[in-house]
Amino acid sequence: MNQAAEHVRPEGSRGSGPRLALALATRLFEDRVAVSSLSITLEPGRIHALVGENGAGKSTALKMLAGVLAPSSGGVLVDGEPLAPHAQAALDRKIGLVYQHFMLVDVFTALDNIMLGAEPVRRGRLDRATARARAGAIATEAGLEVRLDSSVSELSVGEKQRLEIVRVLFRGARAVLLDEPTAVLAPLEVAELYGTLRRLAAGGATIVVVTHRLDEVVRFADEVTVMRRGSKVHHESLSEDSRSGEEASVLLERLTRAVMGDEPMHTLTPRPLALVAAPLLELVGLSVDNAGSVDNAGGVDNAGGVDGASGAADGSDPSTRKQASTPKRRPAIVDVSLAVAAGEIVGVAGIEGNGQTELVRALAGLVPLAAGMVRVNGDVLFTPELAETTAVRVTRARARGLVTVHEDRHAEELVLDATVRDNLVLGELAQLADEGATQARRLSRFAIEPANPAFLARQLSGGNQQKLVVARALDRGATVLVLAQPTRGVDIGTARVIHQAITDAAASGAAVLIVSADLNELRTLAHRIVVLRQGSIVGELPPSATDEELGRAMLGSRKLPNSELANSATPKSDVRLGNSP
Amino acid sequence: MSAVAARLARSLTPPRVRVLFAIAGALLLLNLLSWAFGAAPLETLAEAYSGTWGTGYGIGQVLFKSTTLLFTGLAFVVALRVGLFNIGAEGQLGLASLGVAVLGSRLPANMPALVAIPLMLACAIAIGAGYAGLAGVLRARLGVHEIISGIMLNRVVDVVLPWLLVAVLGAVSLRTANIAPAASLMKLSAVVNSLAGSAASIAFPLAVVVVFATFAWLERSRVGREFAWVGKSPSVCTAQGIDVPKRRVQAMLLSGALAGLVATGTVLGYEGAFELGLGAGAGFSGIAVAMLGRTSPAALIFSALVFGTLAQAGLAINALVPREAMGVLEAVVILLVGAVAIAAEPETPLTEPVAPKVSAP
Repeated sequence: MNQAAEHVRPEGSRGSGPRLALALATRLFEDRVAVSSLSITLEPGRIHALVGENGAGKSTALKMLAGVLAPSSGGVLVDGEPLAPHAQAALDRKIGLVYQHFMLVDVFTALDNIMLGAEPVRRGRLDRATARARAGAIATEAGLEVRLDSSVSELSVGEKQRLEIVRVLFRGARAVLLDEPTAVLAPLEVAELYGTLRRLAAGGATIVVVTHRLDEVVRFADEVTVMRRGSKVHHESLSEDSRSGEEASVLLERLTRAVMGDEPMHTLTPRPLALVAAPLLELVGLSVDNAGSVDNAGGVDNAGGVDGASGAADGSDPSTRKQASTPKRRPAIVDVSLAVAAGEIVGVAGIEGNGQTELVRALAGLVPLAAGMVRVNGDVLFTPELAETTAVRVTRARARGLVTVHEDRHAEELVLDATVRDNLVLGELAQLADEGATQARRLSRFAIEPANPAFLARQLSGGNQQKLVVARALDRGATVLVLAQPTRGVDIGTARVIHQAITDAAASGAAVLIVSADLNELRTLAHRIVVLRQGSIVGELPPSATDEELGRAMLGSRKLPNSELANSATPKSDVRLGNSP
Repeated sequence: MSAVAARLARSLTPPRVRVLFAIAGALLLLNLLSWAFGAAPLETLAEAYSGTWGTGYGIGQVLFKSTTLLFTGLAFVVALRVGLFNIGAEGQLGLASLGVAVLGSRLPANMPALVAIPLMLACAIAIGAGYAGLAGVLRARLGVHEIISGIMLNRVVDVVLPWLLVAVLGAVSLRTANIAPAASLMKLSAVVNSLAGSAASIAFPLAVVVVFATFAWLERSRVGREFAWVGKSPSVCTAQGIDVPKRRVQAMLLSGALAGLVATGTVLGYEGAFELGLGAGAGFSGIAVAMLGRTSPAALIFSALVFGTLAQAGLAINALVPREAMGVLEAVVILLVGAVAIAAEPETPLTEPVAPKVSAP
């Protein structure tokens, strides 16, 4: 590895990537078959998409290809030779995996993360200059803009993902395997990511993408393999002609059927018109400080909130003011007013990191308000004047029928090392009359697989974890639902069932606020869509708004065409993070 | 080679089996140690056996030592459920023991045992819980780490106990007055004659009942289940409406109460008074007991008996080998159990377990 310091030549320019294959690969977890006798061949120079429902075995297949999981029987072949079953062997064979959850050290800089484990060394010391030159060359060639000297905690989600890709390329990967890379990206970032992958493929690399979004497959992939219950059920090569127009919709339909098998297709019943009703959920001049720490489990909150309140009230520019004193504490939500009526579904769109997380956390009571007020059904729920503990706020929100689904299910929704049974009733032991019946009802609501309540939540796939979270939330008798990314990582079939359930909840009188990175989801469900940028509502659009219109509102006046964005010389993260120009 | 060892270890995963493994290793080391000290190896072993499980007196002494360890071990398990490390059991049991002895010595002579003993238990529980609650509140409300405050509070007790004994109670001998007879617990030898002369009292069966009851409560009650969730993910519990600071304080209160109950075995069941150093060290040994036996009540009792045996054996072999050899042995048991436990884990490259076999077609 030390010799790596000698050449600055970007890895991206080296010949063809490896041909990857699974030969009759089977993988068991305990007694459960995740992948069964799967044979696929992935040629270099192409973008391969691996699609299927939750638990179909996509991620398992990908991890076997990356050498992270060994097949229980059968083999992994790289250019026709068997791959030894450990991650280092895969690295040696130039295979790199980008995980669904980022594997980054938050307190390190981007450059240090790239170097970690593959550090160029000169005379026994880290050679950052060489690393920087190599990383820079790789990033430029692949069109991956990353601020190398920023700490990871300051990077946007899209930037972290680019950093992960640069990292595997830095280690010489010529096959890049990505596990649901677009689940957390805004539409523009998705197009950008595939632009990058296309460039890598054109340079000869082997690209494999696991995804739930079939529209992406139609638009960007060269080959698609559909998996169901651990087996391959469909494979086809896609041509340029089928990327748009009539052919695209035929293809999309075909793929959807292949993914769902003989399951019935759910169609969303037409949603009722917004009723003219008194607002159930009201946000009045709401401001929230960026609390920073997620694990603020204990104690009375400090006086930081009061400080922020005065800042917002006296009309000075809070972002510059805050940044001057403490650089990392930008106010997350600034003077947001919004009313959601009973029966109404309001969507919140915005580029990740523009205050969505903090808005949801504040409504759940996890962070104190800096200014303004939240009312439920006309009664005050939160104001900044009350010095209350987090527990008091959260409990009161619950008691008033405000139910939340947070976007980070590992930090806020599921005790991963507790059983599914326990997770189904987390925090509700005092209220439930019949625990067993409640658990059974919630377990079957979205058909959690495996339906074994004794499993640990950790043992469920990401999509099934999400089913559990949403089933629990929708069963809590909410009058106000605040849902962040309700169908993230969930397969198409289940997403439709969840959408129907949300629509039903609204139809029966709940006020619903949905934050989602998936604009199609917002368009499908919402009566109107508000756009959040830099913590403020900058526009309200009807669900008929196009990607273009929504994108313009999300980015503000600095809307650029995709190609320009991707190659822009200025760090486009400025746009993405929403700093003032 | 290591793969074979790992597979062997994996087939021996149940904690009980692991502990047996560790004990076998420890016995081997005892022989090596006594050989190093110039004693005949098997002779030391025989002496250790007859001083513990070989005679009625020895068994009684083991039960007496184990009583203390059961309470402190359980105290540690309870705090660990919410993710807290109650290293302050040492101070909690010291303060509670003194309090119980003082109260016991001042009871009216005609008070019946039926009133006196519950009063004694309540006193032990209150003092232990109160002192542990201090560390709990510091942690839950002010974020002071419970290990730091626990160690500090132990030191406070270290100096407060002799000061209270001498300056306040006027006990220059560092021993309180004897407790009222009605407040003392019955010796086990009154029921089982063969235990005659030993220090074991009905505090031992009491401890066993408390262990089973506490585990059952932890598994089944609302608060007990929330303890476990808080310990596994405080941030999730906060978001799901569980009052994390409150649960942490409650767990520390319970943990301290259990540590305080040590006084039943020492003050009420054996000494009949408090003297400086009574029960000392049990707070720390309890951590080891808990680490070996935290999974179930049976495992905890077994673990306490193992450490109780080691402690008693140390006294028995004192003539042949320095008593500290048993301290070495205790440490080795802990290390061996840890080592066997790690060897039993599947190899984990990156994040996922990898099946040992792979074959290419």
